[in-house]
Amino acid sequence: MTKATINTGELLRTALVGDVTSPVLGINPYDVTADGVPFVSIGAGGVCYTVKVGAEAHGWAADQVEPGASIANPDAAANEALMLYACIGNRATVRSGDAAGAVGVVTGKHEAFHAYKHVLVHLPADALDAVVPGDRLVVYATGRGMAVDELPEITCHSLGPELWDAWAPERSGGRLGIRVTRVLAPEVVGMGSGRVSGATSFALQSEADEALGALRIGDLVAVRDWDATYYTGYHEDRVTIGVVSTGDSPVLGNGPATTILLSGPSTAFELAVDASANLADLLEL
Amino acid sequence: MNRDRLVEIGVQAEVAHPVHQGTYAVDSYGRPIILPGMAGVVANARVGDLVFPWAADHLEPGVSAGNPQRDRYQALQFLSCVGNSVRVLTGPAAGAEGRVTGKHAFVLVDFPQAALDVLAPGDGLLVRAVGQGLRFLDFDDVAARSCSPALVDGMGIEVTPDGRLRVEIAAEIPAFMMGAGLGMSSEWANCDVMFTRREVVERLGFEHARLGDVVAMHDQDHRFGRGYREGMLAFGVVAHGGYGGIPGHGMGVASIFSGPRDRFELVQSPDANLRTCLSLAA
Repeated sequence: MTKATINTGELLRTALVGDVTSPVLGINPYDVTADGVPFVSIGAGGVCYTVKVGAEAHGWAADQVEPGASIANPDAAANEALMLYACIGNRATVRSGDAAGAVGVVTGKHEAFHAYKHVLVHLPADALDAVVPGDRLVVYATGRGMAVDELPEITCHSLGPELWDAWAPERSGGRLGIRVTRVLAPEVVGMGSGRVSGATSFALQSEADEALGALRIGDLVAVRDWDATYYTGYHEDRVTIGVVSTGDSPVLGNGPATTILLSGPSTAFELAVDASANLADLLEL
Repeated sequence: MNRDRLVEIGVQAEVAHPVHQGTYAVDSYGRPIILPGMAGVVANARVGDLVFPWAADHLEPGVSAGNPQRDRYQALQFLSCVGNSVRVLTGPAAGAEGRVTGKHAFVLVDFPQAALDVLAPGDGLLVRAVGQGLRFLDFDDVAARSCSPALVDGMGIEVTPDGRLRVEIAAEIPAFMMGAGLGMSSEWANCDVMFTRREVVERLGFEHARLGDVVAMHDQDHRFGRGYREGMLAFGVVAHGGYGGIPGHGMGVASIFSGPRDRFELVQSPDANLRTCLSLAA
């Protein structure tokens, strides 16, 4: 086994802007759970003080809770660029407000159909207490365009070189050896099929695979028979690897949103199951 | 069913015009694609025709009915039910009668061929919406969604001696094939079966699937939204087709009812298609 390498010297670093969001709701606030019980959604948008990367994904009285600060660019097209270029592990600096100067880390992407699209940023506790909706963050985006040396059949998406280095994938016999917490069946993928792979996440339906028990936000997971080369969809003998970015959802077909990192033929990967493969440890959050 | 308690409402719609971003999408083989299928009038692919042999993406057969006002569009989406009557209000096809045959980004309507040949984007339509709120009496654990009384009648659903709903279907779909549309409201648009590559269609034996087929989706709960639940069954009608699908999309199935697997008896039938069930005009 040797350390796998990427095209580090080719990757650009660009600055993108996202403002801390605030939650949005319709005039009628009720969503409905899988059992037909009305509830008011809480968890997406704004600043979450309770749930951090590394916490349990299940068991919150919330709907896809976003850990830390949730940011978006107020211009829709600029936000699309933010969603595509920001990568997990990238540094983000608070530019305005009481927390100005604080440094955070991009930990996920999350969107709701026909609604918001957010990038999630972990901030140190004192900075999290100080930021408010409207505060501006600059994301130093790098990772879009990443390629694994000598493994061109693997596509990289929201994977920052910072996470790549911490994850320390290895290469042996034409395969990329990576650590994930679990390998999941294709039925787990709910909302998020057919989305543009680089800009988004997909939901893990909790009832579809027992291996989802004890899932933590920040866990690295693999889904077999699933491809995300361009869009996300069923494809036998392919694997997609992502990182759990939000908590669970009471809504049918939803669940923890998982941001896409890598995809390729199953023969291109050597998956090592390691329960500790979580962003909180890897990025020392 | 509670037929005598259902309210019928006239809902405004118009034939939608196709729109385009001016960029390529990418199909499941990694090829850039620009393909027709969504919105407007498709006069040469109709309910009852094969799903796949078309150079199309999200092929909506017949007429795609929308409404340019967002709130009216949402009412049209949620209130329209498969089997509802539709009348053309304006244009050279005025007076023609059609039927709702599915939902996608629009409400999909089949009209007689003579009307389809002259209908155009912008023509006014009226959907006589009835069916939301429909319940199967003595089947409280089965939820009907976007299913008109006319469709229940046309499908010939019967209660078996052992107290189950006997439903004729054209095909059964495994849960791992369910894609875009999971996580959305049961009544909104449809849920895609990820047939985006010819080899998967052939491996699972769906080459002869037809637009309008009644299908059963295993381990799918479509009562309060759509998602995976072991032991639940969802029924739907094939609403959109085409072969050029982008990954995660594919053959669209509009939900009509859902409940526990053991509440149903499934019967395979070649007649389990809307063209037969709704006696659609040629």
